[in-house]
Amino acid sequence: MNPIFLFNLASRQLHHLTARQAVIAGNVANANTPGYQARDLTPFRDVLNKTALSMAATHAGHLGIDGPSARPARAAASDGWDVVHSGNSVNLEEQLMKAGEVSRDQALNSGIVKSFNRMLAMSVKSGQ
Amino acid sequence: MIDPLVASSRIAGSGMGAQSERMRVIAENIANAQSTGQTAGSDPYIRKTITFRTALDRASGTAAVAVRQIGEDKAPFKVEYDPGNPAADQNGNVKLPNVNMLIEMADMREANRSYEANLQMIKQTRSMVSSIIELLRS
Repeated sequence: MNPIFLFNLASRQLHHLTARQAVIAGNVANANTPGYQARDLTPFRDVLNKTALSMAATHAGHLGIDGPSARPARAAASDGWDVVHSGNSVNLEEQLMKAGEVSRDQALNSGIVKSFNRMLAMSVKSGQ
Repeated sequence: MIDPLVASSRIAGSGMGAQSERMRVIAENIANAQSTGQTAGSDPYIRKTITFRTALDRASGTAAVAVRQIGEDKAPFKVEYDPGNPAADQNGNVKLPNVNMLIEMADMREANRSYEANLQMIKQTRSMVSSIIELLRS
């Protein structure tokens, strides 16, 4: 039976979502700071594509390569909708829209984990 | 490194603190919109301004906000002819504060809007936390 990667993947996405929420909260808090540039994380899809998955050792002669398993997402300055005269590029509507995105993805994520957990529990129970 | 969700509520809290400080400065300006000096020819109340700065937290790499300074507006005072006023100079002119009600009102609206945005972030973070805790309950 194949090992189940779903929980690992879900927890990694959850970590990405919470980190993004923190970055957005920083943007909203600095909505009136002169010279502040709005920041954002790289999308989860890009982070996942760059992740070097280590190869499974299926034979005793295989050499294990321990690559960096997951690169942490970095916050970088993002192009905001507009820049005001003080040099601040935070747009509150844009940030709240992003926060809504995060919250929606998080609801989806926890829903998947919950239903998968229920499936596992069901199969364990019926095996008794 | 602290949990990002905890960090985001803390950041939003710092934003709310900064905006309420701004609200206090606006309230001071509005309350003192007519405050003249005490002696003849003296300067009246000077309008206060507030600026923010980013308070970078090295441990979590997140950007909270703090008040940089509360300064004074350099705009000239309004002058009105009112010889009966105790603050009038020998020509009968009284200096009134450089507070413009319209600017204060617009500033108040903006502070209110930013405060609500921070509040929204806290609410959303809390709902995320509670939905994760909900996972354990199923």
